[in-house]
Amino acid sequence: MTLELLFKDELKGFYKSKVMLVLWVGLPILTIIMFYGTGGNVEGMPMSTLTAIVLGSVGGVLSAAMLVSSIIVEKEKHVYDLFLIRPVKRRDIVLSKFMSIYLCVAVAGFISLSIGLVIDSVRFGGISSPILGATFNALLLALSMMAIACSAGVLIGFISSSMLVGIILVIYGANQLSVMAALPSLLLPEQAWLALIPGVLLPVILLLVAMRVFEKKEL
Amino acid sequence: MAVSDSNVSDVVGLDSVSKFYGRFQALDKVTFEIHKGDIFGYIGPNGAGKTTTIKILVGLLKKFDGSVRYDGLSVKDSWMMISKKIGYLPQATGFQEWRTVNHALTTFGKLSGVSGSALAGRIDSVLERIGISDIKDKKINQLSGGTVQKVGMAQAILHEPEILILDEPMAGLDPKSRFEFKEIFKDLSKGGTTIFFSSHILSDVQDLANRIGILNGGRLTHLGTVVDLEERMKLPKEVDVVLSKDSGKWRNKLSVRGIREVVEPDPHHLIVRLEKGADIDAVVDELIRQLLASDCRIRKVSPVAPTLEELYMRYLGGAEQQ
Repeated sequence: MTLELLFKDELKGFYKSKVMLVLWVGLPILTIIMFYGTGGNVEGMPMSTLTAIVLGSVGGVLSAAMLVSSIIVEKEKHVYDLFLIRPVKRRDIVLSKFMSIYLCVAVAGFISLSIGLVIDSVRFGGISSPILGATFNALLLALSMMAIACSAGVLIGFISSSMLVGIILVIYGANQLSVMAALPSLLLPEQAWLALIPGVLLPVILLLVAMRVFEKKEL
Repeated sequence: MAVSDSNVSDVVGLDSVSKFYGRFQALDKVTFEIHKGDIFGYIGPNGAGKTTTIKILVGLLKKFDGSVRYDGLSVKDSWMMISKKIGYLPQATGFQEWRTVNHALTTFGKLSGVSGSALAGRIDSVLERIGISDIKDKKINQLSGGTVQKVGMAQAILHEPEILILDEPMAGLDPKSRFEFKEIFKDLSKGGTTIFFSSHILSDVQDLANRIGILNGGRLTHLGTVVDLEERMKLPKEVDVVLSKDSGKWRNKLSVRGIREVVEPDPHHLIVRLEKGADIDAVVDELIRQLLASDCRIRKVSPVAPTLEELYMRYLGGAEQQ
């Protein structure tokens, strides 16, 4: 019940602080800019695939940076004190942060991919099953990359007390780490689902470490 | 030496609590009990360890030596059960700024176990009690520091806790708000709530607290009432006398055993300083008799109790000399 309440609250927070707006409007706009910016020439690659890859990278880093800044500011202002003096487990705070931003960025991903599919259907005069297949594979990759970036953002937020250091770590650490999701499919291009292995495993490890760090932290 | 005053009705007990930040020792074997219904004032200079004690009491600091118990339950083992009984106001209240006051209180109320149907009514009543009903739908980032402090107070008492722990609750409040807070504390105490608070405003501590603890350099050096501290300090007593008619004859005639000196700060106003150990009642009886015999008329005679501030400053001065 506590986790559900915290999760809903965090979502409301992202909605009210315009984070959702940035992701849900900004990323789809980026898709359209990409298409027209390249003059529609994306070397035969379906637009939806390109969108998913860019989303995984940009959306992941963007949401990780938002997480880091929100967690560092909240730590500075002792926001968590009023939660932790109540029957709230620290791990619920960590999980609610991750789940809410991940849901936001995943929805932004679906919206952007849908736009990519619409563009592809216009370009190719319909959506063929290879395009759908490529889009699905790209979606798996994007979701995995975003999960890794978001969980890394949570960990960095709880470790770092400096905003600048936090953001640098996101750009150089979370971004590089999220690329791990693409490694299996580079080795075995036909097995796109393999992106889910690092996409699930790494976030679980990063979140467990974040919970441990927050558990040990003296506020 | 640990200071203690054990009592069977203890609600909270700290036993030999020590806390280190690296090599720095913030608390050194602090031992005291807070009794049911107490308003306990916790005072000490900056850096004495007051906030560290409070953070240990509310479970925010978990790494410390010694034990802290609420009704016999250890904070280290049973925090989830204990936390429902506690209300806490930190020194700087931090809220997520996108929340409205109502939303923040709704969340904290739910987390503290206040049921959905009762919660809305409880929020209204608490906001009204604190005098901030008009800001219910305002965002936290639109409020002044003092008003955020009041919202902090609202979240602390929302779930009707048995024990209220407050870190500098009246810092940053205007005199009117300070008076209102003190009235709230008194009402809560009458209703059976145990209150533990730290403060730098010693007049507030004197107004409110029935027991005080003085922390200095991480050590609890005094535990008891203000009167206990007064007796411990053995300050010379004073009597304040206001005359409606001052013949002036008393200057040559006055000879009362136990009086050290008489000072006239203003016309018709005498401050009579007594020798240490003098019997104040006997001195006042004889003083009145001799003043009347000197053709004076008396409007007021009252013993002057030293303020907590005076006692505290002398106490700290003594501690520094030692």
